Amino acid sequence: MEISIDDPFFNEKSLALADLYNVIDPELFINIVDLGLVYDLDFSQEGKIIVTMTLSTPHCPLGDAITTGVKNALADDFPNREAEVNLVWEPVWNYDMLTEEGRKQLGF
Amino acid sequence: MAGINIGKAPKDIAVLPFFAAGAVFFLLLAVLLFIAAPDLTGHYFSPRILALVHTAALGWGTMIIFGAAYQLLPVICERDLFSSPLAFISFLFLTAGSLLLIGTFWFFKTGGIMVTGGSLIFIAALLYSINVWKTARSCDRYAIAKCFILSSSLWLLLTIGIGLLLAVNLAFPFFDKSHLEILKLHAHAGLAGWFLQLITGVSIKLVPMFLLGKSQKDKLLRAALILQNAGLILFLTDGYFFGISIRTLLYATLLIAGIICWMLYIADVYRRRVKKKTDMAMKHVPVSFVFLLISLLLVPVVFYKGGTAAVVYGTCIFMGWITALILGKTFKTLPFIVWNSHYKNLNGKVKIPLPKDLYSFTLLKYQYWLYIISMPLLLIGLVFASLIIIRISLFIWTVMAIIYLQNVLKILFHQTRIYDGNINR
Repeated sequence: MEISIDDPFFNEKSLALADLYNVIDPELFINIVDLGLVYDLDFSQEGKIIVTMTLSTPHCPLGDAITTGVKNALADDFPNREAEVNLVWEPVWNYDMLTEEGRKQLGF
Repeated sequence: MAGINIGKAPKDIAVLPFFAAGAVFFLLLAVLLFIAAPDLTGHYFSPRILALVHTAALGWGTMIIFGAAYQLLPVICERDLFSSPLAFISFLFLTAGSLLLIGTFWFFKTGGIMVTGGSLIFIAALLYSINVWKTARSCDRYAIAKCFILSSSLWLLLTIGIGLLLAVNLAFPFFDKSHLEILKLHAHAGLAGWFLQLITGVSIKLVPMFLLGKSQKDKLLRAALILQNAGLILFLTDGYFFGISIRTLLYATLLIAGIICWMLYIADVYRRRVKKKTDMAMKHVPVSFVFLLISLLLVPVVFYKGGTAAVVYGTCIFMGWITALILGKTFKTLPFIVWNSHYKNLNGKVKIPLPKDLYSFTLLKYQYWLYIISMPLLLIGLVFASLIIIRISLFIWTVMAIIYLQNVLKILFHQTRIYDGNINR
């Protein structure tokens, strides 16, 4: 996920993205940002952060743990906003969405 | 959440008791094998061999597979498990039934207790099947993995149904056909129906998930489903009405073609995998395939010669193929459900262990290598009817079973911890 420098919420999104690096996919041992699971961060609504993301496997048994992790990771830096996870299956996650770091960690 | 069901892991009682009991039965199997080592060089229809086979098939194989299936059904069907309490009740029936059956076979006490054991296992299989059908029925998407899981549950019911009738027949003979002939049908309905199709269904979902590999060759899976079932149905029907004949080899060929289709699919996933590093748990998979291949190559030998070949064949299937898979997959499934219940709410908040930190990697490594040493030794001992080699291999096997049990218990009794050293519970 890339953040434009012109984005009105550039600072907030950068901070949120840094927080999300702390959420690890427990099976792959890689954070969800480098896995390319985070599609969008929306700060436009008052008091809310809407994280649009996906999972590498639909109905992943650890999906609940990962989405809870997202909310936990954002709670400290954004005490006045409630994090909501908007889970989507489109676009379907694929390996091209991995970052360079993610690919390296998977042994590419 | 846009109304998307992301999946709640099944309750601990639906999964953990199966792994705990399975690990204990695995150690029991090792000890019984060591004691009954001389029987391994004789005919397979003997009380102790029957007890050993049922310890392996029910207490070990089916026990762990039930637990793993309850954990993985939601992933395969993309729906929550129908009922966790029902899963736990099936555990109680399966455990009690297995103990009764193993005990009565070992001391060869035919009659009421043996039939009761068989009945309890039939009830366990029925409860399992209800959970499978109810979970799968609400699955919107057609999935070939789901078809394998459903067909395997039907084969399980048939296998145990025939087994129950065989137990009755031992005390009150009523079959107008040979008990041994029906026993062969019972065994192969279990092996090629229950175990093979369940393992096929689970693996085609899990292996791509673990390796991050995708195959587009779905035709192979459809062919596998048709060939595996066609081969087995023909074998059982012809075998029941006309007895085992040369046609058996034709049906075996169909079934083996179905197995090859499945293996080709898994090989394609492996080739296309993104995750290049293969962990120790996944290393058990190719080992299990080697034993499956050996057992398939033995089919004509068993058909023409029987005797020792039949024991080697059964050993390759239960202690080779099924055991190697379970020994590896335990550490790809059990730590996750335990981790989930300990750390789900702490994730992203504090530094916490990963699922792989819940077990000892060193013990897993020892387990793997002891297994790699003991299995070929055991097969050599069986082929050459060498009791000393069999005993040495089974001693190593017992050490391996203790190590496996220790590692499973380490996961089950894990205490929540965070990396500042605090213990929360």
